[in-house]
Amino acid sequence: MFHTRNIAKGVNVHVNETTQFKTINFSVKFKDKLTKEKASARSILANVLQHSNEVYPSHTALRMVLDDLYGTSLYIDSTKRGNEHIVSLNVETVNDQYLSEEGVLEKVMNLMYIVLFKPNLENGLFKESVFTREKNAVKQRIESIFDEKTRYAQQRMLDLALPDHPASIPANGTIEEVEKVTNQQLMDEYRAMLETNEVEIYAVGDIQSETIASFIEDYFHFKDREKAIDAPALELTKPKQPRVAEYEDMKQGKLHMTFFSPVTFKDEKFPVMQLMNGVLGGYAHSKLFVNIREKESMAYYVSSSYASQFGLLFILAGIDSKLEEKAVTLILEQVEEMKKGNITDVELDQTKALLTNQLKEALDSARGQIDIYDQYTELFDPFEPEQMINQWREVTKEQLAEVAQKLSLEMTYFLSGKEDEPNE
Amino acid sequence: MNKVQFEQLDETLYQEKLPNGLQVYILPKKGFSKTFATFTTKYGSIDNHFVPLGEEQPIKVPDGIAHFLEHKMFEKEEGDIFQQFSKQGAAANAFTSFTRTAYLFSATGQIQENVETLLDFVQSPYFTEKTVEKEKGIIAQEITMYDDQPDWRLYFGIIENLYKNHPVKIDIAGTVESIQEITAEHLYTCYNTFYHPSNMVLFIVGAVDPDSMMEFVRQNQGQKTFDEPEEIVRIYPEEPMEAAIKQRTLEMSVQKPKVFVGIKPEKLDLSGSEMLKHELSAQLAYELLFGRTSDFYHNAYESDWIDESYSFDYSLENGFGYALIGSDTNEPETLAHEVLETVRKAKEKWPFGQDDLDRVRRKKIGFFLRALNSPEYIANQFTRYAFNDMNLFDVVPMLEEIEVADLQEAFQSVSDESQQSIFSIIPPKKESE
Repeated sequence: MFHTRNIAKGVNVHVNETTQFKTINFSVKFKDKLTKEKASARSILANVLQHSNEVYPSHTALRMVLDDLYGTSLYIDSTKRGNEHIVSLNVETVNDQYLSEEGVLEKVMNLMYIVLFKPNLENGLFKESVFTREKNAVKQRIESIFDEKTRYAQQRMLDLALPDHPASIPANGTIEEVEKVTNQQLMDEYRAMLETNEVEIYAVGDIQSETIASFIEDYFHFKDREKAIDAPALELTKPKQPRVAEYEDMKQGKLHMTFFSPVTFKDEKFPVMQLMNGVLGGYAHSKLFVNIREKESMAYYVSSSYASQFGLLFILAGIDSKLEEKAVTLILEQVEEMKKGNITDVELDQTKALLTNQLKEALDSARGQIDIYDQYTELFDPFEPEQMINQWREVTKEQLAEVAQKLSLEMTYFLSGKEDEPNE
Repeated sequence: MNKVQFEQLDETLYQEKLPNGLQVYILPKKGFSKTFATFTTKYGSIDNHFVPLGEEQPIKVPDGIAHFLEHKMFEKEEGDIFQQFSKQGAAANAFTSFTRTAYLFSATGQIQENVETLLDFVQSPYFTEKTVEKEKGIIAQEITMYDDQPDWRLYFGIIENLYKNHPVKIDIAGTVESIQEITAEHLYTCYNTFYHPSNMVLFIVGAVDPDSMMEFVRQNQGQKTFDEPEEIVRIYPEEPMEAAIKQRTLEMSVQKPKVFVGIKPEKLDLSGSEMLKHELSAQLAYELLFGRTSDFYHNAYESDWIDESYSFDYSLENGFGYALIGSDTNEPETLAHEVLETVRKAKEKWPFGQDDLDRVRRKKIGFFLRALNSPEYIANQFTRYAFNDMNLFDVVPMLEEIEVADLQEAFQSVSDESQQSIFSIIPPKKESE
């Protein structure tokens, strides 16, 4: 799929030459250690670089150029994986072949260079008005999570269950830390990003690998950098409170549960755990959906998800707030079924088929190719989807039961309406 | 089978209308491993007043019934149809909009089996009082979930403001109360009226061979018997041109206020290329006025009246439509005022010329070409266009045809003060300090 070329120590260019898409996609990923401070500063940095530079100081000027380049999309985002924080410049542009104009690609690559390397500076710092405005924008983005009660409940549970652990640090940082960031700190983070972060550059489309690599070598001038030390095992500490209930002005009850699992991404049992999660609650044929939604009519959504980097399994359900106890009982019954190995061949085969389908489908988008490759290269180098699919194929029910038995319920969080709040 | 080539786009579309009236489209995608299929009826939440098939008198059905019917299609006497799709490695789903109900799957193998399952399950209704009752709890939770989503409430709030009588103002899923009235008999009546193949479109896109797939669909449909197609009589109330409610505010648990300015279009009876031209022209006009390169956006962002949640949109169907502009904002009044001022000034003196049009046109062409990478986009949008007698693949040629005067004209018809409305959501006031 991708051809990789190492252009400096810690800097790789991965190119997939393909005619599958009508567009060309780029992604430049800068990877650093995840802390609250770094996540906060780097999220502001992503915004600052995206909104203003030396050549196009105003957001409008930059957007006009992008519109002229056939609505090329360009944005910088902040994400996290395990204890890594990733700032990515993502660009998608139309292949010249479908246009009555040539030279679009070159202009787009030049724009990527400007956005990353020609910031809008004032006395050696980022232009103050841009800095202040974007700091504010990131703060508002973090605050807006409150409006989406499912996301809010999940974040609250993580904060309470695993405070200061990478699992609970939001990719955009926290309001407190965003407020503390100074323009000088932002400049330090910017330098660190360009000079010491590991960099993975991806390109997908009808392009020449050599063209891309030589452009990057000529313009980006990335120097050697030390590979960040391998992540230490992420210890999970038992939450102080096993059950927390909170109340807001709302109608539905949001039930969120956290389980610990010793199986993480790099564990050989990782594919088993993926299947275990699928049979339990990943799909519409899964135990949670069939029993809580279809049999009991108690929920519209009820599902499980596996955060493999940390060895965490979450179960989420939206229910009538008066039925919390019943829902917890029914959910735990399904977990118990998994532990006992009460799994049919059909359930296992369906889950294998859908996981396989999901992986293959994701590879039908350029963004999916980049994300999956970037993630799975840690496991298989070079990554081929068949390797993953073959591993799933061999998993048995007994193995599923085995990993299920190691699950431990560590926290139940329930968010519901204020009328449910007990009177003191 | 007809074959239409779109050379500039490097796409070939295969089409056939079967004897039972079903329209079938197949679009092979080079290099893709997945296939995505949608089976869609031209029946949505707005079709709540109609003459049932084979009867004379029109009836009104409970709010939320099209969506309820969509849920119940998946349950059969032998079990849940999701199970069948999962066995065949397909992820299945469905959605109901104002005007359509779509059933869909995506899969990377066993495509014929999955197409067969899709056609067969949608064409074999099974409703009993017991299964209908059971679904009410699930849908009630779905409605409650949406009730807690401020962005959904904001969207419906502005539509309720704009429309006085048209059923677009009714929430697609209905209310917890309205769904209690739904019976199995209702479902059969709606099903028989709206799920005739002549009211439906099958679209298959991806890793698929058009000849063998078309033959497979032909055979599948040939084995089944349907009544002769009849014209469906749908009744919509008279709708005045002006907005029903000028301004309204709702209190909800949000961290800061939200506001939408909505404008109702004058021309609500368009279809075919007229509709395509108007919709694209109005979208381009709104892009120039409220897009990320507009003076309005620049000013609003710098003044902190808007944040990253800012959005604007223009959308049109037969009988209803709306332009929406809004954001989370600490200054809902100022923002709404500035939006309306921008509209007023553009109405007074049109500020854009050829260069402006060329730029937003290029942006829109690029967006469209990007979207053609997505099988989901192609299938869903193609069907929507087809139900309005438009062709998705005419978008680029039409964009190339549009002139500045078209933008101006389209904008004029979606701008009048009487057609405007404001809806806001604000955090609850503190009870005591």
